[in-house]
Amino acid sequence: MSTPVIEVHHLVKEFPARRGARDLRGRGGLGDWLRGQKTGRFRALDDVSFTVSPGESLGIIGRNGSGKSTLLSLIAGVTRPTSGRVIVRGRVASLLELGAGFHPILTGRENVYLNAGLLGMRHRETDAVLDEILRFADIGDFIDQPVETYSSGMFVRLGFAVAAHTNPDIFLVDEVLAVGDEAFQRKCRWKIGELREQGKTIVFVSHDLGLVHALCDRVVLLDGGRLVQRDTPQETITWYLRQVGNESGVHVFRAGRTEAVQCEGRISLFRDGREITAPAGLGCSVVSLGQYHAGSQADWKVQDRHETGCVVRGRFPRLPVSLWWTEQIDETGRFHWRVELECERACALDQVNLALSVPAAYTRWMYGDFSGTFPEIQPSDTRWTLVLSPEMRSNRAAALPDDSASLPPLLFEAVPLWPHVGLAWYNAEYLAQSRVLQASVNFMALAEQLEAGRHPLVELVIDPTLRAEDASWQIRSDRTVRSGRMRARFEHGGVRLFFDDEELTAYLNGYAAMLIEHLWADSHTLQWQEIRSEGEGFAIEGISRRFPFRQLWRLWPEQDGIRFEIDLETDTALQAEEYQVSLVLRPEYDSWRTDAESGRFAPFQPEDTMWKHQNRTYPSGNMLAAWGGGLPQVAFMLQDNSPPMRPTAINTSALEKARVLQFLRTGDGGRLVFGPGRHCLFSGLIRVEATGDLPVGSFSGESDER
Amino acid sequence: MKFFSETYDGMNSAWIYDSAVRDTPGRVVRDLIRARELLLDLVWKDLRARYRYAVMGFLWAVVEPLLFMALLAVVFSFILGDRAALTGSGSRPYAIQLLCGLIFWQYFSAAVSSATLSLVEARHLVKKVRFPREVIPLAACLVPLVNLAIGFALLGVTHLLLGGRLSAGFLAIPVVFGLELLLTLGLALWFSCGHAIFRDVGNMVAVGLMFGFYASPVIYPAELVSRATELPAWLAALYWANPMAGLLTAYRNLLFEGSPGDVRMLIWPAVCAVLVFISGLAVFRKSAGTIADSL
Repeated sequence: MSTPVIEVHHLVKEFPARRGARDLRGRGGLGDWLRGQKTGRFRALDDVSFTVSPGESLGIIGRNGSGKSTLLSLIAGVTRPTSGRVIVRGRVASLLELGAGFHPILTGRENVYLNAGLLGMRHRETDAVLDEILRFADIGDFIDQPVETYSSGMFVRLGFAVAAHTNPDIFLVDEVLAVGDEAFQRKCRWKIGELREQGKTIVFVSHDLGLVHALCDRVVLLDGGRLVQRDTPQETITWYLRQVGNESGVHVFRAGRTEAVQCEGRISLFRDGREITAPAGLGCSVVSLGQYHAGSQADWKVQDRHETGCVVRGRFPRLPVSLWWTEQIDETGRFHWRVELECERACALDQVNLALSVPAAYTRWMYGDFSGTFPEIQPSDTRWTLVLSPEMRSNRAAALPDDSASLPPLLFEAVPLWPHVGLAWYNAEYLAQSRVLQASVNFMALAEQLEAGRHPLVELVIDPTLRAEDASWQIRSDRTVRSGRMRARFEHGGVRLFFDDEELTAYLNGYAAMLIEHLWADSHTLQWQEIRSEGEGFAIEGISRRFPFRQLWRLWPEQDGIRFEIDLETDTALQAEEYQVSLVLRPEYDSWRTDAESGRFAPFQPEDTMWKHQNRTYPSGNMLAAWGGGLPQVAFMLQDNSPPMRPTAINTSALEKARVLQFLRTGDGGRLVFGPGRHCLFSGLIRVEATGDLPVGSFSGESDER
Repeated sequence: MKFFSETYDGMNSAWIYDSAVRDTPGRVVRDLIRARELLLDLVWKDLRARYRYAVMGFLWAVVEPLLFMALLAVVFSFILGDRAALTGSGSRPYAIQLLCGLIFWQYFSAAVSSATLSLVEARHLVKKVRFPREVIPLAACLVPLVNLAIGFALLGVTHLLLGGRLSAGFLAIPVVFGLELLLTLGLALWFSCGHAIFRDVGNMVAVGLMFGFYASPVIYPAELVSRATELPAWLAALYWANPMAGLLTAYRNLLFEGSPGDVRMLIWPAVCAVLVFISGLAVFRKSAGTIADSL
């Protein structure tokens, strides 16, 4: 093992007790000294020992007054220990306080030289990196203005730029990243990450546990001047959070196997003692007039606490607004997070964003009907990257873990309490190594300012209780109908059929199409609206973009199957040539049957480029079935309230390769006329039975080889 | 460039800081040479800060001693003139005598008082960054040198204008000033760390300097003290124990006579300056390691 760059041996540091400003003599009174009065001594560090290897990054966490900053200043050599020893091998730059050496009257450029000098740089060394410093600080012509004219952001940027470019071997960082705007903080984090990759040693003190976790290989905890825990970063951080559990902005609560830690504007969730949120946890930010205000800047107070939840309020220092969070874990172990916004007076807000960060070990995402795999997070990712376009509207999302990670699937449901709430999945920046589900509450559409008072925004439910197989059903439970072992799910203008978890439909799934003016208006192309629950089933309306009609689909479970009805609504008279409702099934199905005849589906031939009817006669009927290929049997039946239709079995083209059970209705003389109003297009029942359960002869017949 | 108790490890080509290695006064020169650019930057910062927004800028450094001199000259030559018999001989115009004492006392006073407060005022730096602490009081002592230089030039010009002659002795003044500088630096080191630990020191220094202004031959020539017959012998001894008394007398003698006069007069100030400087360095170095705790 290489020689440690920092060695700390049995370090003790005592300070004279501060007497405060009780009397005019103040601190360090000569009178006391002359009278021989010994003031008490305060022990800030008590027998602390550790070493840091080259290239390692060490995080130091602990409560206020636990000795973190003292330890850092001893390493920096700013003061000497009372006893014990510190050995530091290499050049140190301390970012203890950015811009500490800046004089307000000097120009930025003069201050750069002065500050770099304090950090141990000669002028010619500073000359060499001056361009880089200016580029990083990005303050333009202000560099030749006195720094007292700078905004606080520019001040800090320049301070950080100088410190980061003095090319030291060891960086001491103390809470410096709590300042500046979001973009600058990201830049700093990125720079620190870069320094880390360059093999610099970093000692990092911060309250931002997420950052500590992201940046540090090792985390130590200081408590009352003692080093009390050395373990994996995650465990140390968790331990710390529990330890500070009774402070005003902190509350730990649990129900069942779920536990939540509310800490200063951030919520961390645990399932069976394992953290299921990323270190950044769940948090909020407010955007006002284009300015970003992180929730961590707010002053958080727990207003009400109990064993399974709490109410916290975070007041923003530079905005007349507060966030109220009502947190609760219900008896099943789901976490409920209700966010309300309180405006002290009417104010102009753009957005409130809720960010839910989960570890990068969650590799797959779901969002409404869609699902996919998160892209790898690249080292060049310095900001969040959108995984899924927020144009798609759904109130449900899920994150599924990598198979090797022992994390539970997480299901998220947003209950909007404000009209404009959108969910979107992001990959966080490289250092954070997490996936973020962002719920944005948008106020941009408001013509006027947000009124004073309390506005409920959104309630988020996080469900960590599901098995992975159930999660994908649960996320679409509002658009899924279940009857016995079969399920039907509405997706993109079609219906997918499942038996247990096996899918029976293929390609176009269950759909409908109308031939109007020689064009097929396919249900996949309708503009589908928000889904509505109706009892155990649901209803959804699709609007045609091309023709003046709407289709209302309803699916609901019945004793022996799933009912499927389609109504047509039109405002003006609509003339169609024909329409059909089809179930497109997997190609393994080899046999079919209608009321009148039955047969085998013909094998697919490469030259089949058109759909081919399998039945030879077209009488009206009300029954269609398909079976074979070891799959459950599917029956598709017309109900009494449906207009009469003709059942047909069809092979698709060889390319599409699917079997189709279709009910077709053609008009008299090729014309179907619908007056304004509502008409029933189709009413059917879908039944699926496992092959073994099939009553022999009920609808299976001999293959009809005529 | 590294500071303080650091050794260069040639084998690993790395600077090593070890808290167990004590800073000795012997290293101070080495440390200061390394920190010279920082020292000059701090001086420059102070000067810029002082004159940046003043319309007349550095001109104030000229105007201030001139006005002060004019005021004192009017008060003492015209108002109190007869009684105090200050004007002396024709070869020593009172205004020149006054200016000669004034610029060197002003330097001493300004340097010591600003250096005393310097560490406490620079606490935001001292508490955050490691560098040789000496540069802070040293920079405070160097800043008023600018005023002194201007005053000195002024002295030469006015002396010539009033019919005086510049001898080789005039050029020897900086040599004597070397003693004053040593004394100033020594006191600056003592008082700056003293003030950091006991905040009473700042007040004591302020009172002491005001006291010293009248207890040193600034507004009157030292001959008046020698001629004062009613002065008890012990009080006269105490008067001459003030090293500034000997130094200010030497400046005047060099200016008007071209020779320091009684060289024995300079022995005591020289001893004082060296002792104060060396002890100041030692005390400062000893307390510098933990001075940040007191700030």
